[in-house]
Amino acid sequence: MQRRSFIKKAATATAGAFALPYILPSGRLFASTQAPLAQHVILIMFAGGVRQQESVLQRYLDDSQGMGIPGNIMYNMFNGTPPTAKIVYGTDGFIAGDTPIPSLLNQSLQSQGTLFSELRSGTTGHYNGLNAIVQGNTLYTQGLKQKPIHPTIFEYARRHGNFPASKVWFIGNGIGNSTPLLNYSTHPDYGAAYGANFLAPSIVFGNEGLTYMSNSKVYHPEEELGPMYEMKYFLDKNFKNAAGTLEGIHNTDEEKQNIKEFFKEMYQKSQDGTIAFPPVMDNGDLKTIGYACEVAKWFKPNVLAINMSAVDGCHSNFTGYLRSLHRADHAVGHIWNYIQTQVPEMAGNTAIILAPECGRNLNHNPILDENDWYAFDHSDQNSLRVFGMMAGPSIPSNLTVGSNVQPVGNTVDIVPTMAEILGFKNEVVSSGLLAGDSLSWFDRL
Amino acid sequence: MVKAFRYLFLFLLSAGVLASCKKTEYVYQIENENLYADNAGKVKVKSDEQYVSILYANLFQEALGANELVRVVRCIRANGDKDLIHEVLVSNFMNRPDVQLPEAEFMRSNPDSFVVDTYKRFLVRYPTEAEKTWFRNYINTHPTVTPEIVYSSFAISNEYQFY
Repeated sequence: MQRRSFIKKAATATAGAFALPYILPSGRLFASTQAPLAQHVILIMFAGGVRQQESVLQRYLDDSQGMGIPGNIMYNMFNGTPPTAKIVYGTDGFIAGDTPIPSLLNQSLQSQGTLFSELRSGTTGHYNGLNAIVQGNTLYTQGLKQKPIHPTIFEYARRHGNFPASKVWFIGNGIGNSTPLLNYSTHPDYGAAYGANFLAPSIVFGNEGLTYMSNSKVYHPEEELGPMYEMKYFLDKNFKNAAGTLEGIHNTDEEKQNIKEFFKEMYQKSQDGTIAFPPVMDNGDLKTIGYACEVAKWFKPNVLAINMSAVDGCHSNFTGYLRSLHRADHAVGHIWNYIQTQVPEMAGNTAIILAPECGRNLNHNPILDENDWYAFDHSDQNSLRVFGMMAGPSIPSNLTVGSNVQPVGNTVDIVPTMAEILGFKNEVVSSGLLAGDSLSWFDRL
Repeated sequence: MVKAFRYLFLFLLSAGVLASCKKTEYVYQIENENLYADNAGKVKVKSDEQYVSILYANLFQEALGANELVRVVRCIRANGDKDLIHEVLVSNFMNRPDVQLPEAEFMRSNPDSFVVDTYKRFLVRYPTEAEKTWFRNYINTHPTVTPEIVYSSFAISNEYQFY
């Protein structure tokens, strides 16, 4: 009797072991048991190397140019009063930059959410910093011009959150500095099949896109597009045994059609001047954020990551850096306001997370700008100092964690934090691919 | 005198030997055939630059300028889904007045010839009999299909991405 029982149990267990991995295409055996805190997350990689001193510490010219003029130039994000003298970061009035851009939010993000005022970045470089944010890991074998080695938040989201490609977007500020490589990793268990749709609006909706992409034919779905795909699939089938398919993410035919319609709409809106740009749109980051708003409105993505970078002009122009920082704050205020007021499907159901990929040096370099202010690179210990913010449903409001003397958190925490918000933290953590010291920000509170 | 005859004899002998050397022409009794690769040999992915250059040459029968090439390639790299952007580019090229397409009448009246030409133009090979038959039947049974639609399907096919 015992023998019969043993054989029965063994057979059941063996059959289960073979069958269970195939239950869900994502590889997950069961639906997530964690309740998501929000259906959508916006990640802003902010914004090309930001010094703590001019951002969260609100020192303005005090800790950089030896002038005793502190102040907050990022009032959509932080609480604090603006500088009272030497205003150069706004739009041009009587003199260049003398008119600060009005705040777009009634309440700062700091008041609406949680601020990690002294976070650590694992690296002083842009690409590795961005990699740390999207991978949740800082890998010393991660090279420049190389796709992420470990899975990105996009792949975790698509695999464990079961989101289709058109629900996961990465909006880049351009195609330089290997930015387009960040939409998926080379990890064998994840990779292109779970990648994000990358879009660089400055090119797609800029001169190049207008010349080579905007004049697409609109094919009849049944009479033209259907046969085109049928013939393509016949050719693909005959080629399957030779080399396979092109590497990269693949949207379904319906998703592709939807994206093409989005492109068409954007070209039309560009022509009509009705893109959802922020009130001030005089740099690349602000244009990028405008198109990110359009992506949000059209696709209602579950994950929308945006990379901004204009702040990096600080290598040679401190005045330009202040202007870019002020505009990056304007961009954040705009997209958060837009989501809450113009995208009803996402309003009240979206979390925002942002952090710089790296900071900037404590000491300046010798380059002077038009105001005789020194510029700053990023390579020292001060460049590892950054801040982080999150706001949205179930996120504590008006809470500040950490201080100058007691740093709390790391940029590699962002992946588990986003995973917790979207309801698949356990799967991400149990993958064993995050940095050993990464922790969801919720677990650091 | 004898010596002179001896030289003359040696000269004539050498000339005779040299003249008698003749390359043998082998005849195997088969017809000359232009060789094209089959798809099994295509295992390398075309770079973005190769794809755009070849596509442009296939559609317009002329080379794309270097500046234009850079600009088109930037469009490709600004998008994550290459299949998608290839479709968009092909569609844009098809909308230009100088695109070189066969007449629909030619395709309808000579489907075999059209299919063979299309395979050679885009995939640099001859179709198999099965492929030719499939396309012939498809064209004959789908009256709305145009050369543009056929060309587009080839230009976005996986095989066209490889060489």
